Amino acid sequence: MRTWIDLAMGPLFAVTFLFMLIGLLRHLIQQLDTLFRRKAGRLRHMPWRKMARDSLGWVVPIRHLTSGNVLFSNSSFIFHIGAILVPLFYAGHIALWEKLFAVSLPALSATVADTLTIITILALLVLLASRLGNTKLRTINRSSDTAVLIVVLLPFLTGFFAAHPTMNPLPWQAMFLMHLLSAELLFVLVPLTKLSHIVLFFFDRISEMHWQLKPGAGDRVAETLFGKGAKI
Amino acid sequence: MPETVENASQQMLRERLPYYVENPPATGLVERFLDAFAAILEHTDYKPLLDSYCRTTNKCNRCSVTCPVYQVTGEARDVPCYKTTLLLQVYQRYFSLGGWMRSQFNTHAFELTEEIILEMADVFYRCTACRRCTLECPMGMDHGLITRLGRYILSLAGISSKALQVSVREQLEGETHNTSKIPKVAMLNTLEFLQEELEDQFGLQVEVPVDKQDRDFVFFCAVSDYLMEPDTLLGNLAVLYAAGDWDRWTIGSCNYDGINYGLFYSDWHLERIIKQLVGEVERLNGKNLLIGECGHASRSAHDFVPVFGGKRPSPVVSFIEYTLDCLRKGKITLNPNIITQKVTYHDPCNIARGGWIVDQPREILKSFVKDYVEMTPGGKLNYCCGGGGGLVSIDEIHDYRMEVGGRKKAEQLIATGADICIAPCANCKKQLKELVEHYEIPCEIMGLHDLILKAIEIPGGKSAEERLEEAQLYAM
Repeated sequence: MRTWIDLAMGPLFAVTFLFMLIGLLRHLIQQLDTLFRRKAGRLRHMPWRKMARDSLGWVVPIRHLTSGNVLFSNSSFIFHIGAILVPLFYAGHIALWEKLFAVSLPALSATVADTLTIITILALLVLLASRLGNTKLRTINRSSDTAVLIVVLLPFLTGFFAAHPTMNPLPWQAMFLMHLLSAELLFVLVPLTKLSHIVLFFFDRISEMHWQLKPGAGDRVAETLFGKGAKI
Repeated sequence: MPETVENASQQMLRERLPYYVENPPATGLVERFLDAFAAILEHTDYKPLLDSYCRTTNKCNRCSVTCPVYQVTGEARDVPCYKTTLLLQVYQRYFSLGGWMRSQFNTHAFELTEEIILEMADVFYRCTACRRCTLECPMGMDHGLITRLGRYILSLAGISSKALQVSVREQLEGETHNTSKIPKVAMLNTLEFLQEELEDQFGLQVEVPVDKQDRDFVFFCAVSDYLMEPDTLLGNLAVLYAAGDWDRWTIGSCNYDGINYGLFYSDWHLERIIKQLVGEVERLNGKNLLIGECGHASRSAHDFVPVFGGKRPSPVVSFIEYTLDCLRKGKITLNPNIITQKVTYHDPCNIARGGWIVDQPREILKSFVKDYVEMTPGGKLNYCCGGGGGLVSIDEIHDYRMEVGGRKKAEQLIATGADICIAPCANCKKQLKELVEHYEIPCEIMGLHDLILKAIEIPGGKSAEERLEEAQLYAM
């Protein structure tokens, strides 16, 4: 068991974490390339200020929490608080960040971290139940949407039990190994699934940018398909 | 004419789609679709957008809560995110590495079929491309943009609304260069009629400037206004005259149509129509494009003249902005005692959704209308009239527009209890007029300048009160 944990804490962690970083960096570069190279000359007339306001408005989406599917929206928002804070600022993780990046982050107190984790788990369960229980949601839900939620749920669940050995139904080492492996699975899936909205969120918000179509492209497409001087 | 024999594929298209398709493709629909998609990806820059959307599409169903179509039908096919997924899965399977790999290992992997293309052809023309859902998507996905891209690919594969296609063909390749096929002579006749009306109503003797060089404004309206909305045009003329700008504007006789159906379904047509407008302004050496009351004409010019209009694109001014400017500068006077009815305002999606023209018409209306009432929701969050995205021009889907697309709007309109609803858009006006008839709502639909026409005071002309008395006498 110890060897497994060493493997999961050492090389496996490094590889999966790097995979996530490179994957996210690729998304970032692709989007910046679109912005600053492909569409560079056509973005003079963009309402940047308005777009920035819209994007930031979604960071605390108050207006969007009170209408529509209220339970789902609020669970989603609440889930994100813990999902961002606990992985970064939980005392046990801080040592890891220090070792890896030589940065020391302030730690959450144990009570706050516990509370946030429980809230996050509950919010995730509500999201899961909504996806599977709400008929309207179920019709457009894909199995991957459910799977992603479960993959996100696992590190929180296993992490909570690993941190509270008295409530832990399994041997501590097994639970800790599961925590490591589930987090690593998450790392791999981040750039490959919708979890990549960690960086893409900001780019999708500025959809106005994509209305800046490419001059001459329409003619070239028509020429490719129908030859020169094609008629409507 | 020999009767054309249709094969099974063509027959299926005709039977399954609610709108007419001109010369539906007989064979190889799937190949055509994929070829068109490939050509688009090669020459445009939709790829990064699609890559990003494939990842972030969330399936959280929040968009459906805002969609006026889904709210009426409750059908899965009307969930904006579902529609978008139809196209995204084609992209993922055929144009991304991951999708290709999955198809190699998974025998149940997604394959594009005629059936799926038919479904897209159906749902992309049920959507009015009003983009209300975009404001509610936590990922910011622009489903209107994807609907439009889907229609673009379909049109290149041979499926598009005949009504839209025939209009665009006339505008780009026909003799009249406008969607309503109004010849120059007929347009000039309408102008003469408008001049007579100005004389009758105001006692003014003026000549509408046509083909004048070096003017500040070259005027383009939705060309259908020349046939159907003389009061909107008269209102435009009255403002220009009252503001003392009669020598600053002109109409071009080679191209006088601001309509751009390319905005709804084709990048190819969109750009060519924009270039046609810009060409007319260059021919007349004009400085600005002045766009009449029309939502999509305003947006297509405002957003795409800078993109397709060459190195120094002419500025685009909406007539509503122009009128507000005149009002603020005191160049025009609107009599506040003329309009006594309850008035409400419908925001055309194309100018309101992006936040461009929301407050301007309200400021104008509140300056001379005593009893003004808002629609809820309004402004950026307005509901589409139900005829957006070109649907209003497709006569054969009239029932859909009334019962589904426009129902939310009708409910909103009834709730205001207004006598007059102002809709500064040729498409919205047509749809709303049909809606009030269908639902028997006692509300008159008109353009902003139709109302201004009643209340404007023109120096040296008959006063608004005199005109009102005459109109009342005439009505008796």
